[in-house]
Amino acid sequence: MAILIDKNTRVITQGISGKAGRFHTEQCLLYGSRFVGGVTPGRGGETILDLPVFDTVMEAKKKVGCDATIIFVPAPYAADAILEAEDAGIPLIICITEGIPVKDMLEVSRVMQLSQTSRLIGPNCPGIITPGACKIGIMPGYIHKKGRVGIVSRSGTLTYEAVWQTTQLGLGQTTCVGIGGDPLNGTNFIDVIKLFQEDPKTEGILLIGEIGGSAEEEAAEWIKEYCSKPVAAFIAGITAPKDKRMGHAGAIISGGKGGARDKIATLKNAGACIAKSPAEMGQAMAEALGRF
Amino acid sequence: MPFLIARKKTLTDKEKRSKAKRNKMNTHEYQAKDILKSYNIPIPRFGIASSIEGIESILRDLSLKEAVIKIQVHAGGRGKAGGVKIAHSQQEILKNARKLIGMKMVNNQTGSQGIVAHQVLISELIAIKKEYYLSIVIDRKKKEAVFIASAEGGVEIEEIAAKNPEKILTMPIGLNGVLHPFQKLQLIKFMDWKAEMAEQGIQIAEGLVQAFMDTDASLLEINPLVADQNNQLWALDAKLVVDDNALFRQPKIVDFYDPSQAMQNEARAKESDLAYIALEGNIGCMVNGAGLAMATMDIIQYYGGKPANFLDVGGGASKEKVAEGFKIILSDPNVKAILVNIFGGIMNCATLAEGIIAAVKEMEIRVPLVVRMEGTNVEEGKRLLQHSNLAIITVDGLDNAAKKVVEMLKGKE
Repeated sequence: MAILIDKNTRVITQGISGKAGRFHTEQCLLYGSRFVGGVTPGRGGETILDLPVFDTVMEAKKKVGCDATIIFVPAPYAADAILEAEDAGIPLIICITEGIPVKDMLEVSRVMQLSQTSRLIGPNCPGIITPGACKIGIMPGYIHKKGRVGIVSRSGTLTYEAVWQTTQLGLGQTTCVGIGGDPLNGTNFIDVIKLFQEDPKTEGILLIGEIGGSAEEEAAEWIKEYCSKPVAAFIAGITAPKDKRMGHAGAIISGGKGGARDKIATLKNAGACIAKSPAEMGQAMAEALGRF
Repeated sequence: MPFLIARKKTLTDKEKRSKAKRNKMNTHEYQAKDILKSYNIPIPRFGIASSIEGIESILRDLSLKEAVIKIQVHAGGRGKAGGVKIAHSQQEILKNARKLIGMKMVNNQTGSQGIVAHQVLISELIAIKKEYYLSIVIDRKKKEAVFIASAEGGVEIEEIAAKNPEKILTMPIGLNGVLHPFQKLQLIKFMDWKAEMAEQGIQIAEGLVQAFMDTDASLLEINPLVADQNNQLWALDAKLVVDDNALFRQPKIVDFYDPSQAMQNEARAKESDLAYIALEGNIGCMVNGAGLAMATMDIIQYYGGKPANFLDVGGGASKEKVAEGFKIILSDPNVKAILVNIFGGIMNCATLAEGIIAAVKEMEIRVPLVVRMEGTNVEEGKRLLQHSNLAIITVDGLDNAAKKVVEMLKGKE
């Protein structure tokens, strides 16, 4: 067991004819993921990497059937690609694309909040991997190891660091989810932590956050109230300069939240084991597991 | 006069777009005011000058006897820094405006290098009876754009938010940017606007919402909005920040790009698609990925060192990017050691090692260089570095790398 994806997950790639779409689809196939098709408007009927290409997501769904889609569509058209996947009722939509306009994401956020069929991961994220079973993303597969820990993170390479540390300590991972670094994203820490809480194979949860926003604080509140599994956390950006403001009036509404120290204090208060340095993320997880 | 020298090279639209895109798209006050004016928001008459002739022609055209003169820079705190002057005669206007053109402003927002004002805004004076605050921002948590109003203008809105949150009204404007009738009523009650003032206030609020939507703004602010002796409302200052991800569909905003306002190193880094922020320390950092770059700064500090910069070379760093990264790091004279921390995902460590070797040879790097690599083809990468006969210290693990670079520096001091 794992969360969100397993060896039976049938995946399509939106933007399969592009350089990144094609390359990473190939990498995922080599990892053993079950990709069944691709979508690029105007390229329907072609074959790429031995996979059938369709003009629309709806056609792909009808012809090959799929549970998940990974999006590599360029930023100006990526919001449209997400909305198309939701309209087709694809249960899991993973958007790798970076740089989608905020105004486009406002609409996407609204649609995803109301969606009865679909969940969005990202955008601007490395994707999801269930080690040994299925990789839908751009992370290097070999650093992962099937195991006990669920990892959720806002970052890309920092997640690889955490994965590598838990692999070297022999803990391994159940599933790793990159929720993306954009201010407006589909799935947040809380959503993923809830899934890990319900997953019998996940023994501990490793949360990797960073400065800005208040998603970590919200997750901490939920953990304190409902999470029965050991949690470890690292927050990047404790040395980030204060006077480099992250967008003026945005801080008003969140009520002065967003600094690393506040996030760390809130998570600690929720019972999480805090990694003091990014080199100790794996150890913090091991320690949290040991306490239980 | 140095400020008379215009930037000779004119950029093509495409160049502007690509340069602007890599910067946070700030605009000048006068540009924001021009936009607001086109949405029928009342702005006191003003002109923009970058030379004496320019000042004189504004004085003539607007026949000003009194004026406020403000430097046009991409940073806040202009008043405190001496970049805003009030003048009560034509002579005084001329004198002050001449002084302000070419002024270098230095504060915590500009960094120690400062920013030079090449232009000044000269505006007619309004006799202020009361100040207000209006803005629209994106609320990340609620995932929507919100209209913010306060009857306490002219001060730091963050301060009011922290001390007297009840003095701030926030209203969502929906996906299509609409203020509903009940919201307009809320607004005029909250601001205590009556009769014609209420009508004018609503017209301004509607214009602000429309301008926000049309420009793909992430922040549009009027601070202060003022009432004069006749209860007439005026936007005295305006700030517009545009979502740089949306510049591909905002050609007018792209034209606002002013390369003279970006910090040199940061602008240069962005032109090479590198994200760089200068800091106060002496350990230069080169990392792939923003999260890992921040974490690397954190761990240097954890072991008692001080990072000189944040530098994210991106997921697919090429040889050229690595070379450019070194150049930017080394152009900071405070840098006494460098830590390279790369977690090669899709990127091949051997390619990266070749890039580092080429850069070190070309630039004759004299400060200690510690490299920590992990990821695809890492063994070959390390082998290349070790057999390069260059003074590159390869270290395993993030922990050891940070300790090593801090230790190297201690030995030097």
